[in-house]
Amino acid sequence: MYKEIIFYSASFLILLFGILTIFFRNIFYSLISAICVFFLAGILFWLSGSEYNAVIQFAVYGFAVPVILGLGIMFTRKGKEEEEEKTASASNLKNILLFICGLFILAVVYLVLISLTIFPYGFNLEANLQNGINTYNNFRIFSKGLFIKYVFAFEIISIILTITAAGLTVLKKRRNV
Amino acid sequence: MAEITLYHYLVISLLLFIIGLVGSIMCKNIIKVLICIEFILAGVNINFAAFANYCGGAEGDGFVMILFYTGIGAVELAVAIYIFYFMYSKKQTDNVYQYGDL
Repeated sequence: MYKEIIFYSASFLILLFGILTIFFRNIFYSLISAICVFFLAGILFWLSGSEYNAVIQFAVYGFAVPVILGLGIMFTRKGKEEEEEKTASASNLKNILLFICGLFILAVVYLVLISLTIFPYGFNLEANLQNGINTYNNFRIFSKGLFIKYVFAFEIISIILTITAAGLTVLKKRRNV
Repeated sequence: MAEITLYHYLVISLLLFIIGLVGSIMCKNIIKVLICIEFILAGVNINFAAFANYCGGAEGDGFVMILFYTGIGAVELAVAIYIFYFMYSKKQTDNVYQYGDL
């Protein structure tokens, strides 16, 4: 029963924040809504039996990607801040969004705690056992997938990541010269 | 309350995909466009997780694919932000319609 409640509430909120991301005029509010969407997608991963993907989603899309996007936003805010300070009348909305973000963080902490104490084998243990997947099996799945079955794709992505990091550094240096 | 099936996940991922697609077409701000593209990737990842859980058996290949997509998504975002940095330095605007000569 708890799983259905979490799923339906997460689904409703993911769509709500997704739509709000598009329709917010202030880009900071859009970013906050997008962070909520990414966290809620991580909760959906968790519910579908992939705890490690959920943790990666929280780490990459919940923290790293918003930092990059926030830097991009801050880069474009020069000169706009004074104009927006005059026209800003949405301070209540900001407080509500911050409150909702706080609730999400508390919910995630609660989910982690409850999964560690009451459900040590994951939320959908029964379904996972029926499908032959369990929390301990995830390690085997990832190791087999990354290093045996899809090792070529894994190497390609590693090369792409390396090329991207090196390429961005070279471009930046060339621009500075 | 109805039991959660594969179709529930498919509907949610489809709606998230549509939100991302519509947003990436409609929005003028480049940051919003990038966020919406990440929504598209998130919708695809939810599909992968659902199929791996309900149809994948013990293999769980979809979970591995999510890892790849997450890595590719982060790289794509970093490259896009860097291109945006160059374009903003040149054009002094974040409107994508002004970036015609990319």
